[in-house]
Amino acid sequence: MAFDQMTPIERLTAYGKGQEIDRLPCVPIVGNTAARVIGAKVSEFRGNGKLIAKAQIEAYKLFRYDIIRVFTDLYTQAEAMGAKVHYPYDETAYLEAPAIEDISQIDSLSPADPYKDGNLPHHLEAMKIAVDTVGKEVTVTGALTCPFTNASFLVGAEKLVRLILRDPEKVHKLCEISLETNLRYAKAIIDAGCTPSLTDAMSSCTVISPKQFKEFSFPYLKRLIEYIHSRGKSVTLHICGKTSGIWHLMVEAGADCISIDNDADLLEAKKAVGDKVRLMGNVRPSEVMLEGTEELVRHATIECIKKAYDNPKGYIVASGCSLPTETPFRNIHAMLNTVREVGYPVNSRILESGEVQ
Amino acid sequence: MSDSKENLLKGLSDAVVNMDEDETVKLSNQVIEEKYDAYEAIDKGLADGVERAGKLFEEEEYFIPELLMCSDAMYAGLDVLKPHLKKDDEGQKHKVVIGVVQGDTHDIGKNLVKIMLETSGFEVVDLGRDIPPIQFVEKAKEVDAKIIAISTLMTTTMDGMAEVINILNQQNIREKYKVMVGGGPISQGFADKIGADGYSVNAAEAVRLARKLVGGAA
Repeated sequence: MAFDQMTPIERLTAYGKGQEIDRLPCVPIVGNTAARVIGAKVSEFRGNGKLIAKAQIEAYKLFRYDIIRVFTDLYTQAEAMGAKVHYPYDETAYLEAPAIEDISQIDSLSPADPYKDGNLPHHLEAMKIAVDTVGKEVTVTGALTCPFTNASFLVGAEKLVRLILRDPEKVHKLCEISLETNLRYAKAIIDAGCTPSLTDAMSSCTVISPKQFKEFSFPYLKRLIEYIHSRGKSVTLHICGKTSGIWHLMVEAGADCISIDNDADLLEAKKAVGDKVRLMGNVRPSEVMLEGTEELVRHATIECIKKAYDNPKGYIVASGCSLPTETPFRNIHAMLNTVREVGYPVNSRILESGEVQ
Repeated sequence: MSDSKENLLKGLSDAVVNMDEDETVKLSNQVIEEKYDAYEAIDKGLADGVERAGKLFEEEEYFIPELLMCSDAMYAGLDVLKPHLKKDDEGQKHKVVIGVVQGDTHDIGKNLVKIMLETSGFEVVDLGRDIPPIQFVEKAKEVDAKIIAISTLMTTTMDGMAEVINILNQQNIREKYKVMVGGGPISQGFADKIGADGYSVNAAEAVRLARKLVGGAA
């Protein structure tokens, strides 16, 4: 088995400059699986930045992937703005109730203070600890839920999508106030020495049309990305589900890397926008990473590499979305080991045969 | 001013497709005033509109906002027409118990499936979201359902789907119900693994599956 010759930062920096690297960058998107690495219960992360940091650092040390992402769930900013989040004892948190029951209460909403509200201060603490501990060798990012998706947690997803057609101005208002929270949180993340990692589940074409994306999501994403760029950070934007209809808009919004889910095709993405943006994805998180054998993980990883390793703006081998909490460690190792075996420049013999020694 | 019945039915269907709630209500009232059959107006007007909307959704002309607005228009018309149904109109409908499994509150997908099933002639008992596995079974027994439909968007709750089937097995009533599953992380492979009777990738597909599972028309 091959071993890594470079640290993640050395690798990503060299890759960006077109210099020699030991293997492609690889990011199995580890979320609460990190709890399993240190034997913690998922709910213990609540209000405990030190524990989140410990879990994420240990998970990185175990698997040696290329980006650490401080993440527990999508609701941290909405919670800081008044949404109710339920924390099961040992599973990922979920939204219990949006911040407002009815859109008529919209004026009661205000942007969150990342240093005071909800769990945001604890997430910032986790980022700070992680960057102090391993920040010299690996990029530490903080998950940031983008304006349109955060807006859906403020008023409820179904209400928000109805408002698109019934009362579009209110949707803009909800996105604007979400953006303000996003900008403050992005600033805090960057001030902590980290990089915001953007995720925008509801902006997917599985939910809204490309035209609706352009009107309600795009302008706010663009302003958010402009701010992050102004602080000298590059931006990875993840949107779940179907996205082929909005790739060009994700690029136009300023994303430097787009992370695509398994409802989208890497080959198509490469042809459509690969000369403008780095691609990341898209091994199936549930079918392959959670439930598959190591052999299936190897096969699926090679399939992705074959499609995208020669993307003009580069490629990061990754899962299509955050990994389920109970993803077996052996499957995460299998993804990384496959990427190590394939190496860089890629071993075309391995890609052709689809086999790994 | 009396429209022909065909025009009225077509108008109802169009009003649903065009997401025009006011027009749907207006035309539904006209159906009653002109003493046309309420059942036919639902079946060939409102339900036809939702079916067309479902097609537009599959063709990616419509997305979730449009589909929800179409269903709002459909339900507004239904409120007008339902009180005028004759007793034997509804006949014996197949019942479906539907819900989002415990640990998840994403319910747009479930709601779309519910709408499409209802307009295709199923009687749907909606448990809501964040539902413990045992409740699916208890409700199915209570209402004598043919189908149990379980949805999730979160991988953490997939085991809850398997649990519903385990409970059915433990109680020796597995053969009495067809179990269908769906949602983001679910695949045919997962459905097979937990021993579900079917998986569908979207709401329109779910109707076809439900029809197949009950052996033909709803």
